[in-house]
Amino acid sequence: MRAPEPLPALRVVAAPEALDELVVPDDHPTLRLAPDELLVIGSASVQVVGENLVVDEAGFVGWWLTPDEVREQVVPHVDWPLPTARPALAQGLVAGVPAKLWLAEDRALLLCAAAYAPELEERL
Amino acid sequence: MSAEAARFLLDGRRLPYEPGDTVAIAILRSGEHPRTGGTLCLAGDCGNCVAEVDGIAYVRTCQTPARPDLDVRRHPADGAPAWYDATPDPPEIEVRREEADLAVIGAGRSGTAAAAEAKRAGRQVTLLDAAQGAEVVAVYAGPTLIVRAPEGMLHIRASEIVVATGAAEIHPVCPGSGLAGLLTARAAQKAHAAGLNLGSAVSIGPAPEEVPCTALAGELVRFQGEGRVSAVVIRQDGEERTTSCDTVILNLGRSPRDILSRMADDLPVSVVGSAAEPFPLPPAPTEGIVCPCIGTGVDDLEGVWKRGFNELELVKRASLSGTGTCQGSACLPHVRAWIAARSGKIPEPFTARPASRQITLGEAGADVYLDAFRRTPLHDEHLAEGAQMDRFGGWWRPWNYGDHLAEYQAVREAVSLGDVSTLGKFVVAGADAVEFLQRLYPTDVSTIRVGRSRYALLLNERGHVIDDGMICREADDRFVLTFTTGGAGNAEMWMRDWMETWGLSVLLLDRTMSLAAINVTGPRAAELLGRVGLIDPPRFLQHVHSELAGMPVHVMRLSFTGEASFELHHPVDRSAELWRTLLAEGADLGIRPHGLQALFALRLEKGHVIIGMDTEMDTTPRRLGMDWAVNMEKADFIGREALARTAALPDRRRLVGLTMDGAAPTEGSPIASKGTVIGHVTSSFTSPTLGHAVMLGWLKRSPFPNEVEVDGRRASVAEPPFYDPEGLRARA
Repeated sequence: MRAPEPLPALRVVAAPEALDELVVPDDHPTLRLAPDELLVIGSASVQVVGENLVVDEAGFVGWWLTPDEVREQVVPHVDWPLPTARPALAQGLVAGVPAKLWLAEDRALLLCAAAYAPELEERL
Repeated sequence: MSAEAARFLLDGRRLPYEPGDTVAIAILRSGEHPRTGGTLCLAGDCGNCVAEVDGIAYVRTCQTPARPDLDVRRHPADGAPAWYDATPDPPEIEVRREEADLAVIGAGRSGTAAAAEAKRAGRQVTLLDAAQGAEVVAVYAGPTLIVRAPEGMLHIRASEIVVATGAAEIHPVCPGSGLAGLLTARAAQKAHAAGLNLGSAVSIGPAPEEVPCTALAGELVRFQGEGRVSAVVIRQDGEERTTSCDTVILNLGRSPRDILSRMADDLPVSVVGSAAEPFPLPPAPTEGIVCPCIGTGVDDLEGVWKRGFNELELVKRASLSGTGTCQGSACLPHVRAWIAARSGKIPEPFTARPASRQITLGEAGADVYLDAFRRTPLHDEHLAEGAQMDRFGGWWRPWNYGDHLAEYQAVREAVSLGDVSTLGKFVVAGADAVEFLQRLYPTDVSTIRVGRSRYALLLNERGHVIDDGMICREADDRFVLTFTTGGAGNAEMWMRDWMETWGLSVLLLDRTMSLAAINVTGPRAAELLGRVGLIDPPRFLQHVHSELAGMPVHVMRLSFTGEASFELHHPVDRSAELWRTLLAEGADLGIRPHGLQALFALRLEKGHVIIGMDTEMDTTPRRLGMDWAVNMEKADFIGREALARTAALPDRRRLVGLTMDGAAPTEGSPIASKGTVIGHVTSSFTSPTLGHAVMLGWLKRSPFPNEVEVDGRRASVAEPPFYDPEGLRARA
């Protein structure tokens, strides 16, 4: 697997209902990591209603992949079913490494904490 | 096939076989038995034909086609087959993953019918059959099937599973059941079809079709013979009758071959055909071996029953019946019948556990990944400095950079850098942040002022120490918490659990892998930081947000080493840049990085404990001599009730400081008093600064002595800190 790219992002923690209402520009993949946590890929600014924590996030790196690359390079290394809806976020072990897979119609983003990236890169 | 080629090795000699023979049939053809004896089913159900094949033990020879290059070695009559050294370069076992709408296990009549019906309904069906090379060995949640195939392992995730694996034949339980010359009815048919001469054969139960034999009426009592059966004793109308024979064919009934469905409680798995039939149990056995794989006899069942194991799952565990090679295929009907005779109730079959077949470690571990260890953003910097890396708390960390004493001296005398990126780092905020932390910690969080920090223990409900770290207050309603490297994951779960339980308005953000941290420590640390832009360094236990070397840094003033220390928390993507800048700016100050080996020594001189290394699972603050970290005046916090209840009780455990002349003993060394071991050393170091060994260790017998023996030498209990007891250097 090629080297991953840095993934500057915005990390938002707030009440689930506030995140449900959050408006994010369309060109920014938005990953709902948990009911109270959101990761917005790219440089974006958001207005969150109510109490919140919004921080610039530099801890993730990732690989932009085509659907074929996902099928050939990622699927053989996961033992969970890929979601069928698009866009969708899956979180789990990829080749034994904690990772996240964001799937859109025409592309996908495999991302993980930078601390895990060398291990994942070696295993894929 | 040439006559020479049609042989394989059996125990080192060449054995001929016929085309189409399995290894078991070929061995029987030669007049021998694949093991020493026992009823053969030749259907893969029992364990009576297993042998070592090409170096792999417990292979069912009745399912192994004979071929010229096989090396078959029979297991020893008693005990397990020998262990062999691991193959130097074992072949990698491939794992293929598939998905199926419906997976049908068993391509017999009922399985084929179930598959055909599903296909007609438009479903995508995968049909698996051991005879066709797809042997299902396990069913896991998912549901996921683990299948052994010639090309490797197959992991199939199926929406639904149908088990159509048929029925196994009942084995006899009576004296002499370990003799050779005993075949089930279907095994006799196979042997006869293969052209084997069964000699003078008799059958117990109906004679199988097309097999020449004499059917004997009556109840089976025992087999007779030396090694091989020579006669069978039958009881009829109260009288025993002995019949001479060369082979006894056992047609005693059947039991469902349902082991895979019994692995699948609460999964969408259905059973069809014979595997679902409620066959009658055999008569309760009265004498003989019930479980031929383990050797459990009827007398063993009696023994465990008398000891109170009066339920099938307990009988299984206590007697080990059903835990051997065939996983209960041979013995389960008999054990159920035996229990039914005693309890008056037929027990349900026991739960089955993967794997149903003996698989190799390679097959079990195929495509299983080792734990992934994280690397800090400074990993390559450490390697460039010649670090010896090791794994601690889920991370790769530098143990030393080649000279841990020089690293130690750099901290004590000049300035040094330590990579502490691995510490747990969390932000807690919200209207109820103070209330949340008040309940979480034993310290009074409300008295920590903005810009200040405090060391804190984390306790569980029993008052036991589960972690420690710093609480830094950033605003009235916002805090930064740190935890130990190995404890951060649990600490997060702990906090989230309590957040949910208490229902407080709190936000929690894990920044452990988003922020790197460098500890700048030593008497010249402040001087170095001044060179990179920290003009007004925080005082001891203060923290500030600043810009250093052109990047945002949260500077925390604390001390684990005993010297003035500044933890610089900063974005991971700029960590290498900051590290290099600090090393360059500190070159003339005598800077060098330090690894964990030096850090452990430095903190030991200060008497600072490492949770998990110096503590045990039930360590309380009192046992650590850290009551000062607990504010019992607070109304409530996790662990308070337990601490209050146990405060007045005597406690015979104490973590103490110890000193002794000479070199430090090995960590873990026993601590003795008057010849009796009363504890052990948890941490030790020969201090070049102090000129003697310092230790932390547990005393577990009171009254606590002042003098003890460690490593055959005298050691003195001493109150830590051993170094700079007033803490002047840390506050400098």
